[in-house]
Parts: sequence; structure tokens; C-alpha cells
Amino acid sequence: MSKLRWAPLLLLLLPPFYLDMFWLQAGLFVMAAAIGAIGLNLLTGSTGQLSIGHSFFLAIGAYGYVYFAGESDGHVAGLGLPTPLAAVLAVVLAGLAGLAFSPIAGRLSGMYLGIASLALIFVGQHVLFNFEKVTGGYNGRSVEPMNLFGFPFDGSTDLVVMGVPFGAQERLWFFGLVLLGLAAWFAYGVLNGRPGRAMNLIRDQQIAAGVLGVPVARMRSAVFTLSSMYAGLAGVLLALAFQRAVPDYFGVLLAFEYLAMIVIGGLGSVAGAVVGAAFVTLLPQLLTRYSDSLPLVAAAGGEGVAPSDAARYLYGGAVVVIVLFLPAGLSGLRVPFLTPRKETTP
Amino acid sequence: MKLRKYVIGLAVLAVTAAGCSSKSATDDGGTDSGGVKTGPGVTADKITLGALTDLTGVYATLGKSITQAQQLYFEQLNQAGGVCGRDVELLVRDHGYDVQKAVGAYTELQPKVVGLPQVIGSPIMAAIAENVAKDKVLTIPAAWPSQLLKVPYVQIVGGTYELEMINGVDFLVREKGLKKGDKIGHVYFEGEYGESALAGAKFAAEKAGLTVVEQRIKPTDNDMTSQVSALKSEGVKAILMSAGPRQSASLAGVAAAGGLNVPIVSNNPGYSPQLLGTPAAKALEANFYYISATQPPSSDAPAMAKLVGDYTKKYPKDVFDGGATFGYVSAKVFGESLKKACDSKDLTREGVYKALQTQSAFDSEGLMPVLDFSKPGQVGTRESIIQRPDSKAKGGLVEATEPFTSDAAKEFDLG
Repeated sequence: MSKLRWAPLLLLLLPPFYLDMFWLQAGLFVMAAAIGAIGLNLLTGSTGQLSIGHSFFLAIGAYGYVYFAGESDGHVAGLGLPTPLAAVLAVVLAGLAGLAFSPIAGRLSGMYLGIASLALIFVGQHVLFNFEKVTGGYNGRSVEPMNLFGFPFDGSTDLVVMGVPFGAQERLWFFGLVLLGLAAWFAYGVLNGRPGRAMNLIRDQQIAAGVLGVPVARMRSAVFTLSSMYAGLAGVLLALAFQRAVPDYFGVLLAFEYLAMIVIGGLGSVAGAVVGAAFVTLLPQLLTRYSDSLPLVAAAGGEGVAPSDAARYLYGGAVVVIVLFLPAGLSGLRVPFLTPRKETTP
Repeated sequence: MKLRKYVIGLAVLAVTAAGCSSKSATDDGGTDSGGVKTGPGVTADKITLGALTDLTGVYATLGKSITQAQQLYFEQLNQAGGVCGRDVELLVRDHGYDVQKAVGAYTELQPKVVGLPQVIGSPIMAAIAENVAKDKVLTIPAAWPSQLLKVPYVQIVGGTYELEMINGVDFLVREKGLKKGDKIGHVYFEGEYGESALAGAKFAAEKAGLTVVEQRIKPTDNDMTSQVSALKSEGVKAILMSAGPRQSASLAGVAAAGGLNVPIVSNNPGYSPQLLGTPAAKALEANFYYISATQPPSSDAPAMAKLVGDYTKKYPKDVFDGGATFGYVSAKVFGESLKKACDSKDLTREGVYKALQTQSAFDSEGLMPVLDFSKPGQVGTRESIIQRPDSKAKGGLVEATEPFTSDAAKEFDLG
């Protein structure tokens, strides 16, 4: 019976056969956001380390990938490496950036780390706008499509599966699903093993953790590095889904959206991060799409609350409601009186 | 065992159900009863167009004006019988200057529309440019950098930032007495808009023997005090401005207060009539000039009087500005192209694009200079009109010069 618990997830294989491009693209954004949110949740939810610099590492992943995989031309430089290798290198690069920050990440805790990591975004934005050889400057640069063992993840070749034409979005859907599955599985393993227990102890009782022999500083920097690698992977997937990497996107607002995701979904749980990512990513897109038919939201150009404002009010409200009534976030809905700590502490 | 059954069951379900998925039916359009070829965005009684606009972000004022003017045009077009016996409908999506939302909205709109008469934001235009070319969607951007001229299926309506600045420098030399060896300041946004304008300014300055003193700013910089003092210490004789209305107001106000009494010449996104309600109004009226390819609302062209009248009747609460004129003209470019496409019995995307290119002298009844769309990769007009704020005039703007093209603008290579 326990094996069957995961069977409904197989339904996720179906959307490319039915839903149109809008939904598939939105789904890809959700998958990318979910990977990033899982990483942030390891850091903030499970270890209690606040990071407001998450979008910086997303940018490193995205631009690392376009730099390693892209070709040089008159405006931008690129190494033209095979795309799977470029993706791996981009994740490693994001990890190295996290490691470089770890002397700070290891020492500071909570709010102080949050402020320190905020600086990363401002530095990052400045570099992204000015390092035009790599980033393409303000307008960004286009992204080389993923090509796995000769199979391209774009619409360049014709592929029809069971009567449905498979373009870029349909193919990337499965690619994203595999990445998200691996990311979730790995995080699950970390949280349910010795490192997970150590992380929770650092969050709840830092001194006790030290006394019990948990290397607090080293653990913190290790989690920070891991979390940046997750962000890097999310950045790669995001770049592939966008087909264009634009510096403007990786700003402060994005970092706060990631924090909103893990609070809304549920701090410290993998499923929570995924649910929160879906909620925060889909809400503005859905409100925009259906703005014509929703009662309180104004149709574009009309009077009233604009869809993207409405989305902000809604997840502002959602954060308040969840903090007040659902301490375990949306993922705790089924068992409202159990906090996710119950799952991870023995 | 149960698990395996479950998987097999699901697989069977997927295979059989995919057969009846609506996606498997590919719709490549066809030909209607009147023999008109149709494609995406055209049904028996409706032609659908799309607008990716900004109603909540930094260019919200511009986005609202353009969108309302376009809706006004299509409403009038439909009242006059529409195109090919069909009503024209504009689907509007607000992206709030957020690239991710814009890409999502483009993906959603693309299969439903013939073309996009409005896309605001140069990063957004850059993000969708490749798909626009692949999907063959005729697009009119509300951004005017020369780089966009080269992108297939993208049609700039009006001049470009480069040409505006070149004509602006010419105006300073001819009318404001700048001479060889003088310095001019240029305050510009980082990014495509500012850098395109700077390229134009440098070109014209070199021709006229002037030197440009650069001041690069961010769209979030609202206080121009340090820029003004830097330019003052350099002794500039004029200031070029490629930023937003807020920066223009700050620059004019601070410069006047600091005794830097020189003409300020701005690109078309750098001014909005609302500025005349701010404390900077006096300084703006004294020293500020604004370059655009659209006529000011106070122009005596009969089409302008009618447009201002219709617009203020439909949207009594809103101020009529240059964005509205641009929106109306760009919607008209689309409307006329659709009519021409209908005449040649081809309402597919390709047909509309071809119809656009048959128009070598597009007449907006004096709202803009005559536009030439017959040469892909070239700009429709090199003319600019210098205007200045005047709180007594209709729409807060009056003409400072007739439409003109400077010699430097004629020879500038747009690449």
C-alpha cells in the first residue's frame, strides 16, 4: 500500500498531451521555482538561516548555463560546450559561489545572514548589467536549447507522440519533471538522515547542537552551498523555459517571492516548497489570463484592481492567514495540528 | 503487483485518451466562403489581435494611454463595419514590466492572434523577439531603439531614439546657438533605450564639433542633484535627456534652482503632461524641449482635434498625451494592413505582413509624418518634431519647430 502512495504523481505525465502551451509554460516555471524553493527551504526552513540572496544564485545558474553552452558572436562570449555538461558546470558554479560566501554564511545566523545576503543581489544586479560579454547587458541573451544525447529539447525537429505534436514545452516538461523528482528525492534524503537532524537542531537549539558535536559553522556553510546549487539548477531550468535570460528578472522581488513560497507552502518540508512554488508562480499568471471573467479584478485597461496587484494582495493575505492559522503552511493542511518538525525529529 | 497494474492502467488511459486530446487536431487554417485565406486569430466573424502592455509597472501611464487609444480605434473600426465582414478584437495582457509574466502572456496569446499592435518594454521585446520571428507574428513595439529595425516581423512606428537625439542636437546648434567646442551633457538610463540615444547623441555631437559629457543613471534614480552639479562643473551649454518623466522633472527643477540655465532636450519617453501639475512646471516651461515623431495635441491637423475629442469623450478622467497619439496611429497601421490583406484575400499572418509592406506612404492624416513601411530593416521616417511644455495649451504641449530632418539624421547609418 505504501508504494501506491506515490502513484498519483504519475498523473503529472499527462499534461503535455492535453494542456496548451500557456499551461505547460506555467508548469515549467513552477518546476523551476519548486527546485529553487526546495533549496531555500533546506536553508531557511530546516536550518533557520534566512537568505534574501537566493535570486543571485538563480542568476548564476542561468547565466552560467548560457555562457558555457552559448556560442561566441560579435556581442557575447560563450564556450559552446555540450549542453548537459554546461548545465552541470552551471550548478557547480553556483555551488562555488555559495562556498565563496560560506565564511559569512557559517558565522552569521538568522536575520544577520539575511541582511548580508541581500547585498549579493545588489552586487549581482550591477555585475549582470555591466558584464555584457557574458550576460548580454540589459536585454539579456538567448539560451541554447538543451540537447541530451542528440535529442533536442526545442521545436527544431518534428516529433509526434500518440498523435500529439511535441514542441519545446512538451519536451521540457518531462525534462523538468525528472530534475524536480531528483531534487526532491535528494532533499528528502538529506532531511530524513543525520544531516537533517543536525540542521533542525541548529535551527532550534544552536548551543545544544554544538554540545552534541554538530560542527555548527561547517554545517551552516555546507547547507548554504547546497542551497545555492539548488538555486543554480533552478536557474538552468528557468533559462531553458524562458529561452532568454534577462538580468532585470533576478532582482530583490524574486528573492522575496521565494521566501513567500516557502512560508506559504510550509517551512522545512519538501512538499511544502513545491506547493508554495506552484501557488506563488501560478497565481499572477492565472489572474492575468482570466482577468476578463473574474468579478473583482479589472480587465486590462479598465478601472479597478489590476491582475498583478490582485495577485500581490492575494499572496500577501495568504501569508498572513497561513502564519496565523496554518503554522505548517499549505502542505500541513491535511493535518493542521502537526507541524513539519514532527516529521523530521525522531 | 498492485503498483504495476496501476501503471499499466494509467498508460492505457494515456494512450487512448491522447487520441481524443484536442491538441492532436492541428489547425492550419483554411479558406472561408468568400475565398479569403485565414490562419490563427481569424474566425468566421472575428479577427483577434493582442497587446502586451504595462498597466501596473514603471510605464503604466504610457501603457494605459496606448491601450485606451487602441481600443478606441478598433471600436471605431468595428462601428464602420470592421474588416472583411469581421469585428476586430484586441486582447490585452498586463505584464507589469515583468519579463516572466510577459513571456507567459505571449505564449498564451500567440496561438490566438494575427498580430501584436502593442508590446511595451525593450527587455520584453528582446525576450520574445526570436519567437515573434518563428511564429511570424507582426509586432509593433512601444520602444524605439534602432536594433529592433533588423528583427523580422517587428515594425517600428515613428523614428528611433538615435534619430531623435541627432535631430535634437541639430536643433540646439541651429536655434540655441551652440557652437564648435561647446560641451553638452547627456543624462541617460542604462540599458537599450539610453545607450541607443547616446549613440545618436555622440554621432551628432561629433558632426557639430561638440563634446558629450555622459551621466548614466538607473531607472530607480529619481533625484538628479548630483548629475546637475557634475554637469554644471563641466560647464555644459545644454543637456540631453534619455530617461523617464520623473527624472526630467527633477533635472529641470534642480538645474533651475542651481542656476544652470541651459536648454534641456529629451527623448519621447521623457515627458508626460502630468508634469505640469508638479512644482517643476515653471522650470520645464522655461527650458525643456521634447522630441517626438507624433504631433502635439495642440496641433492644427483636423485628425488631431477629432482624436483628442473622441478620446476625452470616451475617457473623461484621463489626460490625452503623446502615448495616446502613438497608440492610435499604431492601431491604424494594423487596421489598414488588415484591410489591404483582405483586399488581396489573404488574412494569414504572412498575408498581413505582406500587406503592411505594400504601404510606402502611410498616411496618419497628419498625426505623424508620412511613414514608409515598404523597406524592411529601414526606419519609416527620419523626421522629428521639437515640442515644449505649455500649461495654457491643449494637452500641455506646443510645437517649437515644424517636422524636420537634420542633415546628420539623413546620413546616420541605422545598421
